[in-house]
Amino acid sequence: MKKVTYFPGCSAHGTSEEFDLTVKMVMKTLDVEMEEIPDWNCCGATSAHTMNESLAYALPLRNLVLAEKLSNDTMTIPCASCYQRLKATKVHMDEDPELAKKINTAVVGEGSYEGRVAVKSMLQYCYEDIGLEAIREKVTSPVSGMKLACYYGCLLTRPKAITRFDSPEYPMSMDKIVEALGAKAMPFDFKTECCGASFSISDTDVVLQLSGKILEMAKESGAHAIVVACPLCQSNLDMRQHDIEKKYKVKYDLPVFYLTQLMAMAFGFPKEKMMFGKHIIPVDSALAHIGEVIEEPKKPVKGKKAVQAESEVE
Amino acid sequence: MITLSYKGNNTFLEAVNKKSGSDVLECYQCGKCVSTCPVSNFMDFPPREIMQMIKLELKEEAQMANSTWFCLTCSACSGRCPREINIPAVMEAVRHLAIEENFHPDSKQVKNIRKFHEIFLAMIKRYGRNYELRMMAEFNIRTRNLFKDMHLAPTALLKGKIPLGVKSMKSAKAIKKMYEMAEKLEQLNK
Repeated sequence: MKKVTYFPGCSAHGTSEEFDLTVKMVMKTLDVEMEEIPDWNCCGATSAHTMNESLAYALPLRNLVLAEKLSNDTMTIPCASCYQRLKATKVHMDEDPELAKKINTAVVGEGSYEGRVAVKSMLQYCYEDIGLEAIREKVTSPVSGMKLACYYGCLLTRPKAITRFDSPEYPMSMDKIVEALGAKAMPFDFKTECCGASFSISDTDVVLQLSGKILEMAKESGAHAIVVACPLCQSNLDMRQHDIEKKYKVKYDLPVFYLTQLMAMAFGFPKEKMMFGKHIIPVDSALAHIGEVIEEPKKPVKGKKAVQAESEVE
Repeated sequence: MITLSYKGNNTFLEAVNKKSGSDVLECYQCGKCVSTCPVSNFMDFPPREIMQMIKLELKEEAQMANSTWFCLTCSACSGRCPREINIPAVMEAVRHLAIEENFHPDSKQVKNIRKFHEIFLAMIKRYGRNYELRMMAEFNIRTRNLFKDMHLAPTALLKGKIPLGVKSMKSAKAIKKMYEMAEKLEQLNK
């Protein structure tokens, strides 16, 4: 049995309860014991680094220091925003011990930072530490027939210097996981475009434009639904979808799943356990495709000239 | 570098370079950041022009633009920058200097963005964690726009999308202390 430290993040107790719940279900099935950081605090997200640099490092640093008190060597985080803040702090502190010492003075009474614990997003942990083979082994009711657009958002793979995981332009880790669950991952060009994040509250028009384009491209890819691994992406694409449809006079009807909801379903958990009732866009239309046979488009027959050209190259 | 830069006293450029850890003089104005930026159409000046302003010591213009406030730090630009400049860090440096000097745009949009961040940070200072519903309500009250997103309320609340309560933190006091210390560190950085 593997053990890993868990940082749920604030939205796990709020808008993304279903993410937290299904992460726990999935990890248990995959024989991973998760140990939550005792009395963790908010990472400060966008606001801290927008306004105050020292605070932007201090808030995540406290969690990193607390994580070192547990015996696990890796920490996993479901929220992409929390992951980005904790990982960026870790990378900057590891590179600049002087800065680490300075920021550590603001983390009062918790001891000093050593840099012992690796920080991984939930997606990265599933892909790297658990692996596709182990995931495939646990699939008892494949979600085959569903066509999915895997949306990573901006923070899971970018910036490369911080995340050091997958491609910042066209990542494939989530695509490979959903294919291991039996679904079909569609080619989708807006995988790492930004959804507009916290502008959902401060200037909603930004989110309507940005998330609108993502929905448009997902629809165009032929997907039945979008898969995400970030609470903010989920709430912008799901909760704002009606606003987007109204503003741009379009109709998408694209459910937005958390990756772990689909994993849990494929691992045989009943659909009633997924908290699908919380989704603003009902998920049934997408789930109805489970079991369908997807016909692969036939490869175009090569013309005489193409065959001739290929043989000349050889 | 290849494009024009100011040949006098480069104090602004130097301050931005120091804070961001990037050299803005490396920018050769190709504009890839603009075509990549998802919010450039919301900005007074797109990132490329902010870069040139820094090179030309146009400090007031750069700080008074709403651009740095709209930057989402999505890092799409820096990933594609052929000069490998950390553009989000540069935008952040300009914004932090503007906050330190209390010199920034006072348009309604920027005020709202600032208010959002202030409310968020005040909430973390008090509770150690974020209460999403309270956050939204307080933003509406402080921006005098009580009915913003009210159309979402019935479904969001009934479906439990946004729960009413949150498990609070035990040592919220430690976070208050952290804020005080962080403020001191910021003063030292100036």
